[in-house]
Amino acid sequence: MPLDTVHLLRRTTYGITPELLADVAAVGGPGAWLEQQLAPQGVADPVADAVLARFPLAVADPPVCYGAMSNGAWDSMVQVVGATVARQLWSRRQLLEVMVDFWSNHLNITCPSSEVWATKAWDDVHVVRANALGSFADMLAASVTSPAMLLYLNNAESQGRAPNENYGRELLELHTVGIDAGYAQADVVAAARALSGLSVWNPWNGGTAATNGTFRYRADWHWVGPVQVLGWQHPNADRTAGVAVARSLVRYLAGHPATAARIARKLAVRFVSDDPPQSLVDALAAAYLAGGTAVVPVLRALFASPEFAASVGQKVRRPHEDWMATLRAVGVAPDPTSSSRAAVEGWMWAVEDLGNGPLGWGQPDGYPDVASAWSGAGTTLGRWNLHLAAVQQWWKDGVTYAGLADRLLGATKPTTRGALVDALCARLLPGQTLTSAHRAALVGFLGADGPVRNGDLTWMLGPLVAVVLDSPYWSVR
Amino acid sequence: MNPTPESGCGCAEDRTLSRRRFLTAAGLAGAAALPMVSTRAAWAASGSWSGPVLLVLSLRGGMDGLSTVVPVGDPDYARKRPGIGVPASVALPTGDRMFGLHPKLAPLLPLWQSGRMAAVHAVGTPDGSRSHFQATEELERAAPGTSVRTGWLDRVLAAAGTGTVYESVHLGAGTVPALLAGPAPALAMNGLAGFALEGGDWITPQMTRALRTLHAGTDLPTAAAGTMTLDALATAQSVVAGRGAPQNGAQYPSGDLGSVLADAATLVRSGLGLQALTIDVGDWDMHNGLGDTDTGWMATKLAELAAGLAAFAADLGPLFDRVTVLTISEFGRRVAENGSGGVDHGHGNAVLLLGGGLVGGRVHGTWPGLADAALDDGDLAGTTDYRNVLAEVLVKRMGLSTGQLGGVFPGLPVRLPGAFAAAAA
Repeated sequence: MPLDTVHLLRRTTYGITPELLADVAAVGGPGAWLEQQLAPQGVADPVADAVLARFPLAVADPPVCYGAMSNGAWDSMVQVVGATVARQLWSRRQLLEVMVDFWSNHLNITCPSSEVWATKAWDDVHVVRANALGSFADMLAASVTSPAMLLYLNNAESQGRAPNENYGRELLELHTVGIDAGYAQADVVAAARALSGLSVWNPWNGGTAATNGTFRYRADWHWVGPVQVLGWQHPNADRTAGVAVARSLVRYLAGHPATAARIARKLAVRFVSDDPPQSLVDALAAAYLAGGTAVVPVLRALFASPEFAASVGQKVRRPHEDWMATLRAVGVAPDPTSSSRAAVEGWMWAVEDLGNGPLGWGQPDGYPDVASAWSGAGTTLGRWNLHLAAVQQWWKDGVTYAGLADRLLGATKPTTRGALVDALCARLLPGQTLTSAHRAALVGFLGADGPVRNGDLTWMLGPLVAVVLDSPYWSVR
Repeated sequence: MNPTPESGCGCAEDRTLSRRRFLTAAGLAGAAALPMVSTRAAWAASGSWSGPVLLVLSLRGGMDGLSTVVPVGDPDYARKRPGIGVPASVALPTGDRMFGLHPKLAPLLPLWQSGRMAAVHAVGTPDGSRSHFQATEELERAAPGTSVRTGWLDRVLAAAGTGTVYESVHLGAGTVPALLAGPAPALAMNGLAGFALEGGDWITPQMTRALRTLHAGTDLPTAAAGTMTLDALATAQSVVAGRGAPQNGAQYPSGDLGSVLADAATLVRSGLGLQALTIDVGDWDMHNGLGDTDTGWMATKLAELAAGLAAFAADLGPLFDRVTVLTISEFGRRVAENGSGGVDHGHGNAVLLLGGGLVGGRVHGTWPGLADAALDDGDLAGTTDYRNVLAEVLVKRMGLSTGQLGGVFPGLPVRLPGAFAAAAA
């Protein structure tokens, strides 16, 4: 099945740009580009690397966060989100960023949220990013000792004699097999017992400058005795060996056929359609199990599938994806002479206020990725007003904007209004053809068709671009 | 609104609360059914809805019900609140020797006396965390011990919504709170006048015309949502253009609350199919400096609330009988005052009810008393589950059947507190 470049890029990146198309051409086409994206460490990424230096607390270990901030301060969490936005905008490892977003939602830890102020950065680096294109079993094994997850789902305070069941339940329901897998309350309790004792150091429980916020195994809090969850069992006889028990459990769950089916379906919803064909889900689940939970073989199978090829136009950009694509389209770049984070953080809060800030979903189940979840009038109006904010360059500190006319129309400007609209749509809506009524509406926005007039390339161009971005063509992912 | 408690607690959780509340909002839905968008748009045009309306006022930060509906007849009250207690001598009479109202609720006293206001006291929640965030999440999800992830009000609308664009509206912020989270799309706006494209007057009409055309004659996935949005924008503009001054001499207090309550009255009057309104009133987290009954922090908050609600009731006139106003807060506060002249996170609380259909002028519920042995870990015990207060509103005012309650509040043993008269046939 030959890959369609525009379709592939709409699904695997945060927005098509001239630079991205040049990358695809340079490497020899969409198939070769995809392979390169599946091994992102081989993709040079100088712009993103440079801008990440502005977000040092996005990669800070928990003791560093404790040392650098007052207790509960938001700096690190805000920088994690800011760095996420910066990479989505400027990294050349676009599929990696899409998969980081996917897994961050699958193993959601709301950020910012108070309990993970010193630990979310560690999770982002060592759980999600380290394993986003690795294996799910490895990711889950890292997650089960991630201080942020242990705090977020209350396992840090779980004592085996009366375990807190929150993490045990979400591990089954959200992270792995899913609520329809046929487990019972007894499985939830057993999972919670297996996880008991996995905790976190802090200044009030004996933590030090070297350990605050890091993983702590508390043998005194671990429940001892046989545990059984679905088809997994463990004698769990050694109070000091709870970490191995927990890892054994999560590796079993990662490789469970019900987990394979769930992750396959979620990937198909992300990349193919809101209601993906069962044939595709089955094929992806099989690839997941055959590969020992490795992610890359599943993605290869997905993008090579006839179902993917047949799904053009079936997905919709969520507000944040729309926002990132908008900023990429109008051409924003880090100002190399600045170290300010202000514009990036402004963009981040703008979309947080729209209810779709990256990493910001308030519950453990992650953002929905179906069109119906984002079709409200308030959300739609919010997207439209962000398009206006982008062409009006509301946030400027630390970044530069390309001139709109040069960016979107090239060096040689169209001479008629019809040609101007056509050039704009070719750039912003590649692979799509407007109906004649829609094309006429855009030309009519400028006035009567005819020669380009005063203002068409200056003060009218921003609103015209916003209208194109407001159109349902732009919403297609 | 200002949902962020700006001072008092000092806990980092406070700031997170408001942030998280934003984040838990907008859209969600998971595997939700796709709403019938085109039907919704058609309904909005009819403008003929005259059914019941529920206004939920979320008093965020933990409102002190003991300073609001004051147990002046409980001997432990004055003893445990020697510095900040409301003296019996200044409390407004309720007709019940046990309770008086905070003097700053005076603008509401006519409503109390005419049976259009009541309270339920010692209302509790199943959540005992006394954490702003967790308590709020549990309060608005209202499905403890289940994996339900929608808000209770969303489930109400899913069961009995009119299906209009303006079926449910959150006023005062751009995203909906968690009680409205779920598949039934809710409209969120800072205010009616601000619900608009931000291109500027010189270009907005032109943009709107172009967008109408661009969302017609296509089956692209967001076309229907775009058309619905344009309808909602047009409706907001026409409603704003058509409204005159508040009626019946109503005078809204200056500030955000007065402004959104004026919008709320406009929406109720406009017949758009509106069934549920939500408004956040923040800044109740009074760990210190709760203040005296005349000029303090609590007095100021209650004065604004009372002035706003009195104006809302006056503005609506007879239409107020269609409305049920309900205040709710994530927890009440500790019975004993602390060393800073404030009160820490507690449990049981008072709920204020206003509108039609009430068994009004009364404090409902079972008073457990404030003696040490009667307290729940130092706090007013909850003798009425808040979900039963909501359930009574839904059954007696909003047209839900008793059978539908199970879907809204899974597992709730239904025991209605009797704050409302039987539903009209």
